[in-house]
Amino acid sequence: MAAAVPLLHTRSYSLNLFGLISRIQELDRGLMNNDYHKATARRLEHEAPSPFSPTEDAILSAALAHVPTHGFTTTALTHGARDAGYLDISTNLFPTGAFSIVNFHLVTQRLALAKHASSLQPHADIATNIRSLALHRLHANKPIAHRWQEALALLSTARHIPTSLRELALLSDELLFLAGSTTVTSAWYTDRAALAAIYAGAELFMTQDRSKGFAETEEFLTRRLEEGEKVRGGLDMVGKWVGMQAGGLVDGLRSKGVWI
Amino acid sequence: MNVAITSRSFFGQALHRPTPFLDFLLPSFTIPSSRTRYAPITSSSASPNTEPSPSSLKSFSSNKRRKPLSKTQREFLDRGLRVNQAGELAATLIYTHQTPPITRAHPHLRSLMHRMYFQEAGHFSTFNEMLAKHRIRPTAMYPVWSAAASVLGWGTGLMGREAAMACTEAVETEIGGHYNGQVRVLLGWVKEMEDKGEEVGEEVRELVSTLKRIRDEELEHLDEAVGEGAREAKPYELLNRVIRSGCKGAIWISERV
Amino acid sequence: MSAPTLSRTSTRLTHRLLNPQPPYRCLSCCRYLAQSQEPANHSGPTPTTHFGFQTVPSSSKQSRVANVFTSVASSYDTMNDLMSLGTHRLWKDYFVRSINPGTRDCEEGKGKGQTILDIAGGTGDIAFRMLEHCTVVNKDHASKIIVSDINPDMLAEGKRRAREGGHDHSGRLSWLEANAENLHTISDNSIDLYTVAFGIRNFTSKALALREAFRVLKPGGVFACLEFSKVNNRLVEALYKRWSFGAIPLIGQLVAGDRESYQYLVESIERFPGQEELKGMIEEAGFLLPGGEEGKGWEDLMGGIACVHKGVKPLG
Repeated sequence: MAAAVPLLHTRSYSLNLFGLISRIQELDRGLMNNDYHKATARRLEHEAPSPFSPTEDAILSAALAHVPTHGFTTTALTHGARDAGYLDISTNLFPTGAFSIVNFHLVTQRLALAKHASSLQPHADIATNIRSLALHRLHANKPIAHRWQEALALLSTARHIPTSLRELALLSDELLFLAGSTTVTSAWYTDRAALAAIYAGAELFMTQDRSKGFAETEEFLTRRLEEGEKVRGGLDMVGKWVGMQAGGLVDGLRSKGVWI
Repeated sequence: MNVAITSRSFFGQALHRPTPFLDFLLPSFTIPSSRTRYAPITSSSASPNTEPSPSSLKSFSSNKRRKPLSKTQREFLDRGLRVNQAGELAATLIYTHQTPPITRAHPHLRSLMHRMYFQEAGHFSTFNEMLAKHRIRPTAMYPVWSAAASVLGWGTGLMGREAAMACTEAVETEIGGHYNGQVRVLLGWVKEMEDKGEEVGEEVRELVSTLKRIRDEELEHLDEAVGEGAREAKPYELLNRVIRSGCKGAIWISERV
Repeated sequence: MSAPTLSRTSTRLTHRLLNPQPPYRCLSCCRYLAQSQEPANHSGPTPTTHFGFQTVPSSSKQSRVANVFTSVASSYDTMNDLMSLGTHRLWKDYFVRSINPGTRDCEEGKGKGQTILDIAGGTGDIAFRMLEHCTVVNKDHASKIIVSDINPDMLAEGKRRAREGGHDHSGRLSWLEANAENLHTISDNSIDLYTVAFGIRNFTSKALALREAFRVLKPGGVFACLEFSKVNNRLVEALYKRWSFGAIPLIGQLVAGDRESYQYLVESIERFPGQEELKGMIEEAGFLLPGGEEGKGWEDLMGGIACVHKGVKPLG
């Protein structure tokens, strides 16, 4: 019996526990999932103030209405100022010029995602939610899709790259949070980076998509998300396999009396 | 449960949530649900008896106005909770990797190690939930701290019981002091809010009491480690100083990165 | 004559030989001209007046004053160039470009020009640039600029330059002698754009001037000011202070023979409030600041040596 005790301790019970542990993980995640996040999203919706002052909001939203005709230019901004009751010269309120319309569109659409989150399926998994939210956000670009390439050009200028990257990161974080992701390990970073890349690709694809209702963009997004999931799952599995092999090796050596 | 604890950190995430499902694997010792008091060799700078406990922590008052946290307060919490999560991650990994060599050499320490591990695992899951709930980003140094803590735990475990306990003492001293500082700042906020006649929110109250509880448990571990011969480790001064400065550096980095 | 003056005169003589122009009026030259131009036949004693410590005929006083002013103004330009190493021109160009005055060439906008008020702009630096920007860049031929200064001599110089430089054929420039703290001749809510470049530090009460600016501007109108400010970088600040306090009064003494004025200039720049304080004063006067919540509300030029502050008058 005494000899059996060390064996009991050193054999990899982890192999048997593995299935049990992943099941526990899933259950835990499911419990924490959508209900909690919907409640949080509702709370955020009421709490978060707009980052734009009332004047900026008035002028920029009016300017956005002129973007389909005039594009992301100072002309649209001037028209917006006039519509809001200001003067032409009042566009001095926006030191970045036409870029402020792009920024306004990005920020307001990102904040509007929280409203959409409450209409997500109650027990859908995270991947489905991400797809639904990302599609909703892409469809918000519909009225200005034919002008979005101008916006991308503005976003790519050296002066505005920090802002555009920050907005992309914030959007990616918002999508994952509202979809119900609760990872707080280093996967937090990899998930967001991957989603940001997928979303940016889909947005770029959309600028030259001429299909009805942007159906091709939808397919593109779905394909990319599926690929992303596969890669993630694959990497996870490889990691777990390596861990188990290493664990087995260490346990085996210990059972032979090696002091490690 | 012994085997589950000796499993590698890759399984860490699930295991660090103490769930009733795994209890059947722990036949021979009890997991204490309440704190067991040990005679402290070192005492914490603010013992629970002498700590100020403002009235607002105990009672509700609904006729006061409620203000959301300011930007600096919010940033403080972001940084603080991020560091706390990183600290608990490191603590759980240290215990995970210290336990096999220590319990092999000193079977009587098994219950102590497991109890400390379970408490740390509980803290870790608490902070994981807080981070997810408040949308705080975890530290980018997560894999680095995981590796460092694993190596530290394994190394000190192989060096012997005294070294392992010295490592625990050093880590818990730093972490305990860190939590103490956070509790002090939060109590300062509570006092400020009370002075201004604002209502102290439920979340702040809960956070203060959670941090206090965790701090007390960490300081308990410190006392237990000292009781088990931490001071008798052969390169005690060196170990202590190196590990404490490593912890300080890790805290500083995690606050920013 | 000293070396700088000799070389200056020879350059100008050469220039005049190659490009005949109205005679350059340096003080000694115009005294000579005035004497040679006086008509030989005049009956009876001529009315005289004072000109400094001299007694001169009344008819020639205006031109003498103008001539005095010309020499001061021309060395004033040289002084600006020497002190800022020519960059004051860049700053003024940038200032006007960033304001972008003039109605954009849009359908509804045609025909309705802007009313622009340039304060402390007697010599017309900013006004001419703005006029050119309106006309050439925005194709706006209707906007009008009121150039205002507390000093009539500066205004006279501005008018002279406008004439000689051909800046105002269509009478879009008007000249107003007024104190920025009391613009009683300008009615409320009548100005689209109020600019002041390197003038606000000379105001006795900036708060009063800002309040007047707020009064005369239309709702939606813009207040824009270009001024020296505090440098951000410590190293650059140290170098800049050495240059300001060491070199500028010395250059003033050598070139204009006036060390005290330039010492005063440098000291007043040092005493002028920094970016945050001026931004606070503009906000207090009721203006909305550009840049939003996280924006700074001002724009530093060359690391903070000069700074552009803007404010928009809210509606209602």
